[in-house]
Amino acid sequence: MKIEWTKTPIGRRKFLKGATALGATAALPMGFGGSALAQESGTLRVRAYGDAPNMDPAHSVGVVEEEIHSSIYNKLVQYKPGSEWGWQLDAASSIEQVDPTHIKFALRDDIGFTNGHGAMTAEDVKFSFERIIADETESPNKPDMGPLSHVEVTGEREGTIVLNEPFAPLWSIALPYITGNIVSKSAVEGAGGRINSEPVAESGPYLRASWSPKAKTVLQRNPDWKGDAPAWDTIEIYPIDDENTAEIAFEAGELDLTRVSLGSVARYRDGVPNGGTLVENPSLFYVWLGMNLDHPKLQNQKLRQAIQHAIDVPTILEASYFGAADPSTGIIAPGLAGNRAEGLVAAEANVEKAMALLAESGESNVTLTLDILNKTTYTTMAQVIQAMLAQIGIALEINVLESGAFWASGDNENLQLVLNRYSMAPDPSYATAWFTSAQAGIWNWERFRNEEFDAIHSAASAETDTAKRATMYQRAQDLMEESGAYRFITHEATPVIHSSRVIPALRPDGLSLLRYFGKA
Amino acid sequence: MEKSQSEIRIIIVGIAKNPLGFMGLVIVGAIVFSAIFAAWIVPYDPIEMNIRDRMQGPSWSHLLGTDQLGRDTFSRVITGGQVALKVALPAVFGAMAIGLTLGMVAGYGPKWLDNFLMLLFDTIRSFPTVMFALAVVALVGPSLQTVVLVVMATSIPTYGRVARTQTLTLRNSEFILAERSMGASMARILGVHMLPNIIGVLAVLAAMDIPTVIALEAGLSFLGLGVKPPTPSWGALLKDGYALVRQTPWLVIGGGLPIIVATLGFTFLGESLRDVVDPKLRKNQ
Repeated sequence: MKIEWTKTPIGRRKFLKGATALGATAALPMGFGGSALAQESGTLRVRAYGDAPNMDPAHSVGVVEEEIHSSIYNKLVQYKPGSEWGWQLDAASSIEQVDPTHIKFALRDDIGFTNGHGAMTAEDVKFSFERIIADETESPNKPDMGPLSHVEVTGEREGTIVLNEPFAPLWSIALPYITGNIVSKSAVEGAGGRINSEPVAESGPYLRASWSPKAKTVLQRNPDWKGDAPAWDTIEIYPIDDENTAEIAFEAGELDLTRVSLGSVARYRDGVPNGGTLVENPSLFYVWLGMNLDHPKLQNQKLRQAIQHAIDVPTILEASYFGAADPSTGIIAPGLAGNRAEGLVAAEANVEKAMALLAESGESNVTLTLDILNKTTYTTMAQVIQAMLAQIGIALEINVLESGAFWASGDNENLQLVLNRYSMAPDPSYATAWFTSAQAGIWNWERFRNEEFDAIHSAASAETDTAKRATMYQRAQDLMEESGAYRFITHEATPVIHSSRVIPALRPDGLSLLRYFGKA
Repeated sequence: MEKSQSEIRIIIVGIAKNPLGFMGLVIVGAIVFSAIFAAWIVPYDPIEMNIRDRMQGPSWSHLLGTDQLGRDTFSRVITGGQVALKVALPAVFGAMAIGLTLGMVAGYGPKWLDNFLMLLFDTIRSFPTVMFALAVVALVGPSLQTVVLVVMATSIPTYGRVARTQTLTLRNSEFILAERSMGASMARILGVHMLPNIIGVLAVLAAMDIPTVIALEAGLSFLGLGVKPPTPSWGALLKDGYALVRQTPWLVIGGGLPIIVATLGFTFLGESLRDVVDPKLRKNQ
C-alpha cells in the first residue's frame, strides 16, 4: 500500500498547540514509551468474551467489535487509558468546540487508508458520521450521535461538526467510541455502502490480518502507520465466552490478558500465576431490582418501599460477587457526572422500617414473582432476596428464564419483580435514556413514568456545564428511587489479569484499548 | 396373587445373582430410601442460608462442604435425589402407561388408527428432546410439573412403538385368535392377554429410561430451567458448581457424583432385569 497525501499548510505542532486544553493535556501521557518498545517483536494474546464478525462501525454491536475497530480504524479522538475518563487526540491534530453546536477539527496529515484508498480527508469524516445518522444505513448506533446535523468540510483535512442543539455526550460516547470510527468514503461506497466481515480499507496502527470465526482474530502492525508505533507486532484475540476457561488458559500461559470472574478475585489477590498482575477496575454496568409499577400487586408505594428497605445489598454482594463489588447508589457509576455519593435508601437493610412500611401499606399475605436470567449470579442473588423478603412476610417465587425469554420481558405486563443488569457507555445520558416514559414497556420494564425525569433527561444532554449536569442526573436518580420501583444493587467490577510482559492500556472501566498496549 | 408374588421373587433373586444387578439393586435401593427418608437423614435444612459459612470444604459438620450461600451440600444432594425421583418416576411410568395403551390400540386396532398414532409418535419424536423441553419451559415457565410433562410427552412414543410392535407380533398368535373366536372384547384381549406379555419388555425399558430422565432433569436444571430455586436439584448443584469450580470443586462433585451413581445403578438394574425377564436370555442361562 502506498499512501499519498499533501502536506497541510498548518503544521502538526501548530495544531497541537491550538487544541483544547483537555485534549492537549491528554495527548502527552500516552502510558507507554512507544518508540523503544515498538522496535521489539512479539505477539500479544488477549481474550474477548465474544467473536467480532462485523467490521462496520455503523453496525457494531458493542465493545468486542469496538476493540478491533479502534485498532484498525482511527477516530478524531480516542479514550485515554487510565483511571479517569477522558480523551486524547487520534486522527485529529486539533479539535475545538467553538460554540455549543459547532466543533472544529483538523486531521493529521499522515494517515492513509489501505487498499489504495488514499489519505484520510475531512470528506471521510463527513461520510463516516453522516452515514451513522442516515436513515438508509439503519445503524443501531444512531442515538449515540444525538442531534448531529452534518459535518461541514472546510478544507481537505479541516471541517466542522454541526449539531442541531448542544450535546454533551458527543465528547464521551460519540467521538471516542463506536460512532467515532472514520472509514474511507471511496472504499465503503465501492463496497456498496456496507462493510461486512472484511474491512474494505483500514487506517489504524493495526490491520486485521485474519479472522477465523469463533476461533481467533489476528491483528498485525500496519507497516504504513506513521503515528506512535504500537508496541506489539501481532495481537491475537481469542473469543472465549466462559471466564473459567479463560482463567485456565491464562494460567497455562496461553493468554496475556483476560477479564476474570468476580469469584476469582480473592484467589488472584493472593497472587496471579506466572508473575502476572491483577488489576481491579470499577465497571459501568448497573444491576438493580425493578418493580413493575403497572402491575396490580405493586400499586402500593409503601409496599414497594418496604421491599426496598428489606433488601440488604452488602449481603447480596457478599453472596453473589464474593465481596468483589461495591453497592451502587443508582444507575450512574462513580467517575461519571451524576453519580450520587449516597442513595435515598441505604445499602444496608432496615428490617424494622420495612416491616413498619409493610404494615402501613395495609397489604398482607403478599406473594410476588421475581424474574431472573438463568445465571448463577442471579439465582444466588434472587435466593438471598427471597430470604430477605420472607423476613418481612413477603413470599417470593423465583422464575428463572433463559436469555431469549428474559430479554423479551419488556412487554410482559405480568412482570412483577425483575433482577436486571444493563451495560453502559461512559456518559450519564446513556443510563437515563432507558427509563424515560417513552421507553415504558420497551427497556423501561418498571413502567416508571415521570415528567420531571423525562425533562431532566432531555435537558441534561444539552447541558454543557458539568456541575449542573451532575446535579440534574442526581435528581433524576432520586426520582427513580422515590418511586419505590428500584432497589439499586451494584455496578459490579472489571477485574483483569495480565502477564508480566504486558503493560495494559485499559479504560477506567477495565476494557482494553489494544492499540495502546505496551511491553514490560 | 400368589403366582405374581412368586414371579417377583424370582425376578429379584435373578437380579441379585448377577453382581452388576446386585450393585444396581443396592444403589437404587439406597437412592429410593434416602429420597423417602430425606427429612430424617439430612443434617441441615437444605435451603437454610448461612453466608458466613459459604464455600467450605468437606468436614465432619458438612460432609460435602457448603455452597455459595453457606447451605450444606450433603443435605442438598439428598434432597436433590428426592426431586430427581419426583420427576423420573411419574414421568417414566406415566409415559409407559400412556405409551402402552396407545401402542396396544395402534397394534390391535384398525389400520387408520395405527397410521394416525404412528404419525403422532413420529411427529413428537422428530423434536430433539432437549430443544423441545427448552421451548416448553420458555413458554410456560420452569417447574417440577413442567419437567415431568415434557419428559412424559417426549417418552410416550418410545413406549408406544415398542408396545405396538409386541402387539403386532402377538395379535395373530393362537391364544389371541382363540380368545377372539370365543367373542372376547378388545379391552379383555388387550388387558388380560396382551398386557402380561408386553409389560416385562416395557418395564426393562422404563428401568433403562429412568437415568435418562434424571439426566434430562439435571440438564434442564443445569441450564437454570428445571425446578425453581431454592429447591435443590442435582443439575442446579452442578450448575452452581461449574460456575464456582475455580473456587471449590466440591459443588461439582456433590452435583455430579449422584447423577453418575444413579445412572449406573438404574442401568445395571435395567440390564439385569432384561436378562431375567427376556425369555431367550433366560433360556440361554
